[in-house]
Amino acid sequence: MADFDAIVVGSGMSGGWSAKELCEQGLKVLVLERGPEIKPERDYVDQLAPWQEKNLDRISQDEISKHYYKQYPGVAYAVKESNKHFWVKDDEHPYETAEGTEYDWLRGYHTGGRSIMWSRQSYRMGPQDFTANKDENIAIDWPVRYEDIAPWYDYVERFAGIAGNRDGLTQLPDGEYQPPFELTCAEKEFKTRVETAFPGRHVIQARVAHITKVTDEQRALGRSNCQSRNRCHFGCTFKAYFSSLHATLPAAERTGNLTMLHNAIVQSVEYDATTNRVTGVRIVDAETNQRRVFTSRLVFLNASTIASAMILLQSKSESFPNGLANSSDQVGRNLMDHISGAGATGLIHGFENQTVFGRRPGGIYIPRYANITEHDKPYKRGFGYQGGATPLGNAGGQKAGIGKAFKESHGAPGPWRVNIGAFGEHLPHPDNRVTLSGNTDKWGNPLALLSVNYTENEHIMLEEARKDAVAMLEAAGCTDIASAPVSLTVPGNRIHEMGSARMGRNPATSVLNGWCQAHEVPNLFITDGSFMTSSACQNPSLSYMAFSARAAKYAVELMEEKVI
Amino acid sequence: MKTRREVLQSLIISIGGGTLLSACEGVAQVIPSDSRRMRFYSEREAALVARISDLVIPRTDTPGALDVNVPGFLDALMADWANAQTKRNRRIELGELERLLGDEFMSAPLPEAEQLLASLDTAAFTGRPARYGGYRSLKALITQAYFASEAGALQEQRWVAVPGRWDPCVEIQ
Repeated sequence: MADFDAIVVGSGMSGGWSAKELCEQGLKVLVLERGPEIKPERDYVDQLAPWQEKNLDRISQDEISKHYYKQYPGVAYAVKESNKHFWVKDDEHPYETAEGTEYDWLRGYHTGGRSIMWSRQSYRMGPQDFTANKDENIAIDWPVRYEDIAPWYDYVERFAGIAGNRDGLTQLPDGEYQPPFELTCAEKEFKTRVETAFPGRHVIQARVAHITKVTDEQRALGRSNCQSRNRCHFGCTFKAYFSSLHATLPAAERTGNLTMLHNAIVQSVEYDATTNRVTGVRIVDAETNQRRVFTSRLVFLNASTIASAMILLQSKSESFPNGLANSSDQVGRNLMDHISGAGATGLIHGFENQTVFGRRPGGIYIPRYANITEHDKPYKRGFGYQGGATPLGNAGGQKAGIGKAFKESHGAPGPWRVNIGAFGEHLPHPDNRVTLSGNTDKWGNPLALLSVNYTENEHIMLEEARKDAVAMLEAAGCTDIASAPVSLTVPGNRIHEMGSARMGRNPATSVLNGWCQAHEVPNLFITDGSFMTSSACQNPSLSYMAFSARAAKYAVELMEEKVI
Repeated sequence: MKTRREVLQSLIISIGGGTLLSACEGVAQVIPSDSRRMRFYSEREAALVARISDLVIPRTDTPGALDVNVPGFLDALMADWANAQTKRNRRIELGELERLLGDEFMSAPLPEAEQLLASLDTAAFTGRPARYGGYRSLKALITQAYFASEAGALQEQRWVAVPGRWDPCVEIQ
């Protein structure tokens, strides 16, 4: 008799969904979280006023050097003195990179994982994203198509709460949305001018995981409408943005089927060769260093793509000498992220007598047009832009003048500034991978050794994205246009790492099937970013949610049919 | 309320070990939590920072930089946030700034000091000569510290903790 029906490894974006779906279908579920517990009422700092923050909310420089030398430079916009407990200390959770490569592994180890620090952009993948590998003969084909996952996008969007507009674009399919955050007057003008100058390009509202018209289902979980504070990186007392902590874990808990264990670092998945089934997981307690095994009929890995791959690689047996479910040798390979580092800013005029009220959590999005509506590109795939047009406002003292006029100028909205920055697709490559280092952490677990390089396609794409950004701002009549030379982000920096246990039709070339189920071990599922066969260019969390819910339904069906 | 000049004078006098609080009675303030004394700035540096703060963001119908103790805030920032390298650089920059402004900046009556600083500010924001980097970074910190204060945020910037809604286009009255 197993301890649990299912074990879910990780409580973040996808683990929360696995837990919710499995619990709601009646399974007794153990969720293992490697970090400590986050309690919103104790650990959120979103209610701090500016004058209550220490040192302008800056982490001291010595502390950055000692503890946050990767996290802080990687995510300086979000890692602050008041919320630094949401980010790992690099010296406690080190990793290695292959010579000549760099990697930003930006993490939060605690209840809800990175779902409490994410930037909440929520886009569907489009039909083209599932066929691109096949059409271009790159890597392997996805074993699913948009139609397979579309109903699951509907399902997770309704529960999560996504504010967005239905724009009718085939490459960025519409979803089940709550009212969007309306465009600013300058953004509306920018939209008109760009769409006139570039038919086939669109400027739309960002689609963000924020409640704007709370449903009864959301209210029952203690969630309410977004208050336009833009304090999301500090937690949300209103539980208005989607996170595991606000939504899926409470939903799992109220079934009475959830057991949540913190400080439980999974070292390996236990495997029984006679039945060809996983039987549970082995953990080490982060605080006591005690080791133990939990057993279950089903295991869902949701540890995030690097960690899930490492758990498989650490789970060696006679049957799987190269790591569990890894006869294909694809575990850890094809590691992808998104690429940024190209964009433009400029001033847009005619709105000097207008301003905004409130601080919305998202801005504009320019969906991918390259190789969709425009086919003259010297690169494959494409990119979307995120950005906005808002009053410049307080320039932080970086403008001329002193005295009364200078002081009072900060109360005025100032000129309006447009900014857009690209998020591009990263092509899968088998040599971009995570392996196990020979060195270990303080619990004796191997460190991740990361080796990721960008190829010509990524470099060319971003150079073109920069030029396109400037051209659009010019077409929109912007002045003072500035566009820094392309500075390609370090792999991992976009915090969209994915692909380390890709899905495919052929067990010889892929780890998972189209249900996120291991080809070789039927009761093992991986529904974090590991399954991604290509990266598309959309922010991926919404896809992880949809695939997690779909996989959980399928797994329970297989259990009911006694297949697993 | 004291006059701005009195506030400045009492602030400078207080730096040798007196209290900053007395200068700011009844005014919202940001005080370094663990000390009423300057921990980073020398007396001379603190006086310079205080005078520049006062000129950059003076008291108007709302409190000014001295009313909310921007110099004390910056002193705490340098003592607690900055590392040794930053501390060294800031100290060097303050020395250069003092030379750029000249001896009379501290002793001159306020309107004349204002003239001196205004000239320097104009130069610092024209063509971005590197020699004014220290001034620009100090000015940025003064501004950020002021608008992070309760008075700066609430009275001057009309910061609202919970807007409750998003209005993308508001006509300015």
